[in-house]
Amino acid sequence: MSTMTLTQDRAERAQTKRHSRLGQSTGWITLAKVFGVVALAMIYIPLLWLAVMSFAASPLSGVPFPLTLDNYRQLGGDGRWLPPLWTSVWLSGLVALVCMLIATVVGRSITRMRRPGGVILLTLLPLFVPGLTTGAALFIFLRTILELKLGIWSIFLGQLVWALPFCMLLILVIASRFDLRLLEAAEDLGASPWRRFWDIEMPILRPGIFGAGIFGFLLSFNELPRSLFLRGLETTLPIYNWAMAASQQSQVPIIFSLTTIILAVTLPVMGAFFWVLFVKLDKS
Amino acid sequence: MTSLSRSDTSAPSPRRPFAKRLLDGLSPSRLAVPVFLLSWSFLVLAPLVVIVLFSFLQVKAYRVVYVPTLDTWVSLIDSGRWMTAVRTLRIGLTMTVIELLLAFPFALWLAKGCKSKTFKSVIITLLTIPFFLDASSRIIVWRSILGTNGAINTALMSLGITDSPIDWLLYSEFAVHFGLLGTHFPTMVFPIFMSIALIDDDYIQASQDLGAGPAQTLFNIILPMALPGIVAGIVFTLVPLMAAFVEPQLLGGGFVDLLGNSVNSALQQLKYPTAAALSTVVVALLGLCLVVLILVTRKRHDMASMFMAIRR
Repeated sequence: MSTMTLTQDRAERAQTKRHSRLGQSTGWITLAKVFGVVALAMIYIPLLWLAVMSFAASPLSGVPFPLTLDNYRQLGGDGRWLPPLWTSVWLSGLVALVCMLIATVVGRSITRMRRPGGVILLTLLPLFVPGLTTGAALFIFLRTILELKLGIWSIFLGQLVWALPFCMLLILVIASRFDLRLLEAAEDLGASPWRRFWDIEMPILRPGIFGAGIFGFLLSFNELPRSLFLRGLETTLPIYNWAMAASQQSQVPIIFSLTTIILAVTLPVMGAFFWVLFVKLDKS
Repeated sequence: MTSLSRSDTSAPSPRRPFAKRLLDGLSPSRLAVPVFLLSWSFLVLAPLVVIVLFSFLQVKAYRVVYVPTLDTWVSLIDSGRWMTAVRTLRIGLTMTVIELLLAFPFALWLAKGCKSKTFKSVIITLLTIPFFLDASSRIIVWRSILGTNGAINTALMSLGITDSPIDWLLYSEFAVHFGLLGTHFPTMVFPIFMSIALIDDDYIQASQDLGAGPAQTLFNIILPMALPGIVAGIVFTLVPLMAAFVEPQLLGGGFVDLLGNSVNSALQQLKYPTAAALSTVVVALLGLCLVVLILVTRKRHDMASMFMAIRR
């Protein structure tokens, strides 16, 4: 069978060799680039347009003119977005800290297990369940079965379920490269377990732990589908944005200017962070 | 306890402070994983089991009635809600195929064609940032681009290409597809990019040296070796698509009702068993797609290698 196809291939190859190598490949690359540019445009044109239209008198019309600062003035005069923003900031900070802690302690232990497959699969399971389903399931479980009163704590749990798998992945990637013989050497030299962890493992894991913290913060800061169901009476910034976008047309201008301000702060930070992360990972 | 006493006896210096000796003895690696797995199962697995069971229960006067019944499922089928499931599956699969067709060539070029490291880092950064953006605000902007008096229609009319605005651009299935396209592109590109980047250049070089054309190299070398990444890309794109609710709600204008919106509205109307049943449908459909995917790709790769590809 294989020899037959081989000889066939060889015959075909002789015929198609020249023009397929020259002609097809360049057209292919152009096509690939066009696809990428189109998809990236679909991501970034809305962001750009959001910033432009935040200066428009009526942001939902197609024309940005006349330009005005009214939306920002309205945003300044309306303080209702401040509590959700504050809640989001400290809650995401908490999620990030807890993610860093759990991911470090559990992640480094997982890499020392003989058969980590099942544990990793269970850890990553939330990535295979849509956010809305997780939210609805946790809601029904906590609210109607356990009959608990939902609030910040349940939003926290929902966001933890979302953010932790990503943080764990990051730690696992770094921890699996760690050479365990370093620890043995330290033990032979008389270092206590705590010293071995703090002086030898920690410096190697540190970029992963910081990365986990930043991932945790960003993922939690923008989490909507789980928080939406688990909110109780609380409101985070994505829930506020969703409520404005989904129901009240007249409130839309506010989220245009609010999101523009937040993007103006977070985009450069994210850009710089990921830049450093990828360049560093590339070098190591 | 046992580990504590053992380390006490073998401690090299007995003069170390007690607190430090305690820290030495606590072996987090032995405790951490079981404790974590237990609480994680409680948070992740238990709710999923509960919603399946819950869809066979009823809620009367805000109290759960623990008597099994098929009422919820019967009413779901009678009210034609199953059409929503079919529509969700159709749109989810369509978008997954579109993303795959767009992402594969791009990922291949990014991994093997793009020579500049700086450029590569820029693109990867650009693809990472969307994971951390607020969904509602970036989707609602499309209204001002696609609407009847939006940017595209205004441009078309002022250029004299059309006399009246094109109304199917917004509040239609087209708009929903359009909105989903950008949101779900990175999840498809990343796994494919990583699996292709892992392919040793020597294989490709050898294939070319042996006289294979680009198409042969693609189908005999690159595709089989990138398959784990492709599977991962399909999974990570299909999962969120099956429960998308922001795009259909904001761009569908009530015409495109997907499972995600149905779950949302059922919970708002306090119809908990209905929401549970709809969520069960989401999970079941996803499971079905995954099983089909595994059966299709089983010949070449097991799931373990898929995770290896993600872990890189």
